Amino acid sequence: MSVIAPNFKLSEFIKSLLDNIFWIILLLVLIGLPAVFIILFVVEMPVINGELLTPFLALTWLADPSRILPVVKAFMGTDLFRVMVFPGFGFAALLAAGTIFVERKMLAKLQLRVGPFYCGKFEGILQLMGDGLKLISKEIIIPAKADKPIFWAAPVLFVAAAAAFVAFIPVAPGWVVADVDLGLLGVFAVIGFFPIITILSAWSANSKFPFIGGIRALFQMVSFEIPLILSLPGVVMLTGSLNLSEIAASQSVFPWIVFLPVGAIVFFITMLAELERIPFDLPEAESEIVAGWLTELSGMMYGLVQLGTYLKLYAFAGLFVVLFLGGWNGPMIVPPFPVELLENGIEMGPITVGPLPGLPLFTQEMLNGTLMFVMKTAGVIFFILLPRGVFPRIRVDMLLNLGWSKLIGLAFVNIFIALGLLYAGVLGPGGLQ
Amino acid sequence: MVGELAGNYSTVVLMFGFAVVAMAPALVISRMISPRKKSNPVKFLPMECGQVPTGEGRTHFMMQYYPYILMFVVFDVMAIFLYAWGSSLLEIPKIATLPMMGFLAIMFGAMAFALYQSGRRRIW
Repeated sequence: MSVIAPNFKLSEFIKSLLDNIFWIILLLVLIGLPAVFIILFVVEMPVINGELLTPFLALTWLADPSRILPVVKAFMGTDLFRVMVFPGFGFAALLAAGTIFVERKMLAKLQLRVGPFYCGKFEGILQLMGDGLKLISKEIIIPAKADKPIFWAAPVLFVAAAAAFVAFIPVAPGWVVADVDLGLLGVFAVIGFFPIITILSAWSANSKFPFIGGIRALFQMVSFEIPLILSLPGVVMLTGSLNLSEIAASQSVFPWIVFLPVGAIVFFITMLAELERIPFDLPEAESEIVAGWLTELSGMMYGLVQLGTYLKLYAFAGLFVVLFLGGWNGPMIVPPFPVELLENGIEMGPITVGPLPGLPLFTQEMLNGTLMFVMKTAGVIFFILLPRGVFPRIRVDMLLNLGWSKLIGLAFVNIFIALGLLYAGVLGPGGLQ
Repeated sequence: MVGELAGNYSTVVLMFGFAVVAMAPALVISRMISPRKKSNPVKFLPMECGQVPTGEGRTHFMMQYYPYILMFVVFDVMAIFLYAWGSSLLEIPKIATLPMMGFLAIMFGAMAFALYQSGRRRIW
């Protein structure tokens, strides 16, 4: 019979215990206390129930149920929450992860396959988590003579640029990370970073396939940026604003796709090209140039680029919804918060919790707006995913010809449609709105 | 105020920074827990479908569509000018649209001419 710890000595056990306690106390004093002081000194603390939130009140919030919701609500009002969780990174990453799974499953159904099936009990629902674990435990191989700092930084920069793009998308009234007056121009500025990051990654790999793929990506993104930019002045003219929240709010009666279908079609096609999706996936053409500019990326680097790609896809779909489909506007289908819960509190059997302060955590408009936005975005994402199962890949010269001749012509037609609508008095002052 | 205007954009930078701070550990953790074997130098060669690569990875490459890049540089700037006009269209008098029509005509004409020239492969 074996002993669990044959060389056990009580003195060494106590010594290791004391060692650990010493290091914990040291780190707490050197890092924890300064952090508390910095937070108290720099961050503006909210006033809750008539008293300023001190560390004592913040750390004992679990003990007092009347303080939980106000603390949570005060945290939700901060920029940090917006960046990290709701209209920002967490929300977008969740939708992006969902998109990856739905894409794999939907493509499988289109091609009469089963798709992810075994990972997770139901229809392979844990496949994504399994893929993440696999990617993070794989070896990262960097090709010899690669430009290492740039090669390491490119995937992270790709995700970061996609996240900066997400920052401009308004999800519900008032719920946007960066509510700026020149939001649309900001979006164009951020889109301009993707070709640079792509060509940097491709050039630093010191390999031929990534190089060819990177050049293709550069051409494609750069030449489709012109139709992308030219297809949107129509919306800006009719709205008279570059603020994306105002553009979304201006479509409470009609979404602009009713009046500017040409612009919407041009924008959608350029969106497919900017996202490098079939039929425009020349930069990653797997039957010609292995995986294009992703060839030398291995392990988690590839995973990060995938995450960035799908964040970008969500951001483009959100932009389409905000510009043409009316953003958060839609019928009010979320029921209002029950009033008796606000006045009487919750009664569950013998337990009665009194009326909690700050209970409607989200307003009805915000919940409904988010629901509408997510439904419309899911619809647009579906139509972005659909061509992958249907269309073949087109040639480079056909792509450039399409972008430069046909789409730009249609974009000019769209500008004149918008001008005609304004000057014929259909829309604008004295018109429908 | 200029500072306030610029300050509005700080959340975009914050988002960028948060993505970097949140995603860089994924690479670091991956590097820590994944195996690293330097058994064979062939493993670190650039991927060329099993062949041992010959020649340089970064070569001079004939970009056959170079005129499009040149056109992009010009027309990207011109397209952005349309936004200055479009966002203030509701406030300016109707007669002020006429010069803009001229601008659009020049832009469209120039683009058509550049496209025609880019199709003539012999001249560049």
